[in-house]
Amino acid sequence: MSYLHLCFYSAFTLSSLGLAFHRTHLISALLCLESMMLSMYIALTMWPIQTQSSISTILPILMLTFSACEAGTGLALLVASTRTHGSDHLHNFNLLRC
Amino acid sequence: MDLSLILNTFMLLTLATLSTPILFPLLSNNLKNTPDTITNTVKISFLISLIPMTIHIYSGTESLISLWEWKFIMTFKIPISLKMDFYSLTFFPIALFVSWSILQFATWYMASDPYITKFFTYLLFFLIAMLTLIIANNLFTLFIGWEGVGIMSFLLISWWHGRTEANTAALQAVLYNRIGDIGLIFCMAWLASTTNTWEIQQLPTPTQTPTLPLLGLILAATGKSAQFGLHPWLPAAMEGPTPVSALLHSSTMVVAGIFLLIRTHPLFNNNQTALTLCLCLGALSTLFAATCALTQNDIKKIIAFSTSSQLGLMMVTIGLNLPELAFFHISTHAFFKAMLFLCSGSIIHSLNGEQDIRKMGGLQKMLPTTTACLTIGNLALMGTPFLAGFYSKDQIIENLNTSYLNTWALLLTLLATSFTAIYTIRMTTLVQSGFVRVPPLTPVNENNPAVTSPITRLALGSILTGFLITSYIIPTKTPPMTMPLSIKMTALAVTALGIILALEISKMTQTLILTKQTPLSNFSTSLGYFNPLTHRLSMTNLLKGGQNIASHLIDLSWYKMLGPEGLANLQVMTAKTATTLHSGLIKAYLGSFALSIFIILMSSY
Repeated sequence: MSYLHLCFYSAFTLSSLGLAFHRTHLISALLCLESMMLSMYIALTMWPIQTQSSISTILPILMLTFSACEAGTGLALLVASTRTHGSDHLHNFNLLRC
Repeated sequence: MDLSLILNTFMLLTLATLSTPILFPLLSNNLKNTPDTITNTVKISFLISLIPMTIHIYSGTESLISLWEWKFIMTFKIPISLKMDFYSLTFFPIALFVSWSILQFATWYMASDPYITKFFTYLLFFLIAMLTLIIANNLFTLFIGWEGVGIMSFLLISWWHGRTEANTAALQAVLYNRIGDIGLIFCMAWLASTTNTWEIQQLPTPTQTPTLPLLGLILAATGKSAQFGLHPWLPAAMEGPTPVSALLHSSTMVVAGIFLLIRTHPLFNNNQTALTLCLCLGALSTLFAATCALTQNDIKKIIAFSTSSQLGLMMVTIGLNLPELAFFHISTHAFFKAMLFLCSGSIIHSLNGEQDIRKMGGLQKMLPTTTACLTIGNLALMGTPFLAGFYSKDQIIENLNTSYLNTWALLLTLLATSFTAIYTIRMTTLVQSGFVRVPPLTPVNENNPAVTSPITRLALGSILTGFLITSYIIPTKTPPMTMPLSIKMTALAVTALGIILALEISKMTQTLILTKQTPLSNFSTSLGYFNPLTHRLSMTNLLKGGQNIASHLIDLSWYKMLGPEGLANLQVMTAKTATTLHSGLIKAYLGSFALSIFIILMSSY
C-alpha cells in the first residue's frame, strides 16, 4: 500500500491500542479517542483528492462536527466523575459497588 | 330676519361663555376663578341658551354647523359638526338650569372645603363634556364627550380621596363604564366600515339593520346608564359629595346612555329584536332597582336606586320605539331628581353628617322649606297627576298598556311603579314625620339663600315643566287617545296601592325593633347578591386563569416535563436501568475488545 495509507492505518491502530490499554487516567483514553478522530479526518480529506470527486468534501466536516460533540460529552463525563470520585483514576470507578 | 343665524350665534355664545372660566385664568394672573364667578357664568349661559330654545319652539328652526374637518384617511373624513335640533336645543337650557342651581347650592355645601375652586372647575369641565355629547352630530364628537364625562365622574366621585370606599367606588364607575365603551367602539367600527360615516343624520334606515351593532349600542347604554348587569357603580357612586350626585348621577351623566340610543334611533326602528331587548332589559332594571330601594336606610342610596329605576323606565320607552317620550322623561326627571338630592344634602349638613333615615324624624318642623320641596319632589317622582313626572310617566305607562309587547315587561314595570310609591312614602315618613330620632344638639339651619333658592327654583321646575313641555312641543308620534277606563287608571291605581300599603306598614312599625330576616328581605337588603357574586367570581377566575397560564403551563410543562428537565429525567431513568446490567470494568472490556480485533485480523491471513 502507499506511504499515505501506511501513515493513516498505523496512526489509527496505535490510537485504538492506546484507548484499549490505558492504565491510570481516564483522560488518556479521551486523548486517544481524539487522535482516532484526527486520523480518520485526514483519511476522509485524502479521499476526494485521490478520487477527484469534490462532492464528498463535505464528509470530513460532518465527521468533525460529530466528534466535537463527542469530545464535549467525554469531557463532561470526566468532570462529573472527578466531582464525585475526587480524581479520574479508573480503579476508583467500581470500588464501592455492591 | 335669518333665524338660523341667530340660533347658531347664541348656541356658540353659550358654549363660549361656559369656557371662559377655563381660558381666562390661563391668560392673566389677575383673572382667577372663584366659586361665585363660575356660578354666575353658568347662570348667564342658561339665560343665553333660552333664546335658541324659544326660536326653535316658535318656528321649528334646526341647524347643523360643520366646523373643521379631520381628513383621517383619504376616503374617511371626520368633521367636527354640531347638530342643533329639538333634543340639543331643549336639553341645553334644562341642563344649564339644573347645573346653575346645583352650583349655587354647592357654594354653601362645600364652603368648608379648602379646594372648593378646583371642585367647581371639575364640575364645569363635566358640564362642558356633557354639552359636547348633547350637541354632537357625529359619533366621534359624542365619544369625546362620553369619555370626558366618564373621566370627570371618576375625579369627582373620589373627591374625598382619603377615603377607601370613595376610591373603590370611583374605580368601579370607571371599570363598568369601560365595559360599555367596548360596545360603543364596536358600533362605531361597524358604522365606519359599512356606511363610511359617523354622522348621525346619515345613519342608514334600511329595512333590516343587522342586530350586532345595535347590541353594541345597547351595551354602551347599559354601562353608562346603569341598567341591570352593569349597575353596581351607581349606588356606589354616592360616595361623592352631594352636588356631584345631584349633577352627575341623577340628571346628566347617567342619561348619556339613553341619549345615545335616542340619537341613533333610526337604526333601531325596524329591528324588533333590539327593541325587545331594550324593553326587557329596562323592565328588569327598573324592578331590580326598585326592589333594592325598599330596604335601604341611607337616604342618598334610596335616591340613587330611584334614579336607576327611572333609567330602566327610560330604557323601556326606547324599547317601545318612542325616543321623544324618553327624552321628555329625561327632561322632567332631571328637575325633581336634582331637587331630591339637594334636599338630602341640606338635611345631611343640617344633621351634621347623618345619612341614615332611621336616625332622622320630625324634620318637618325643623326644616320646613327643605321638607316641603322633598315632598313635592317625591310626589313628582311617583307620578302625581299634573306635577312634572305625571306627564311623562303616565304617558309611558299608557303606551305600555296599549302596545303589542312582552307581557312580562309590562308586569315588571307596573310592579316597579308601585314599589316606587312604596319606598318614596317610606323615605318621606321616616325623614319628615313621626317622633324626632335626631340627637339633641344639631346645627339645623336652612336660612342661607344659597340653600333655599336653588331648591325652590327646582321645585318650581318640577311643578311646571311637564305642563310647559306638553303645551309647547308637538309630539311626532300620536299618543294613544282611546283606551278603556281601567287601562287609563292603571298607573294611578298601582301608585295609590303602593301608597296605601306603605302607610299601613309604616303604622305597624312605629317602634324601631330589628326586622325579622326573611329570604325576600335579605334579597332586597343585599342588593340581589349581585355585587359579591360577580365581583368575587370574576376576580377569582381571572387570577386562577393567570396562574394556570403563567405558572402551570409555561413553567411546569414546558420547562420541567417536556423540555430540558424532562430529557434529563428520561436519561437518568434509562441509565439507572442499564447500570444494573454490567460490572463496570472498563479496562477489561476494552482489553478484550483489542484482543478480539487482533485475532480477527490475524485469522484473515
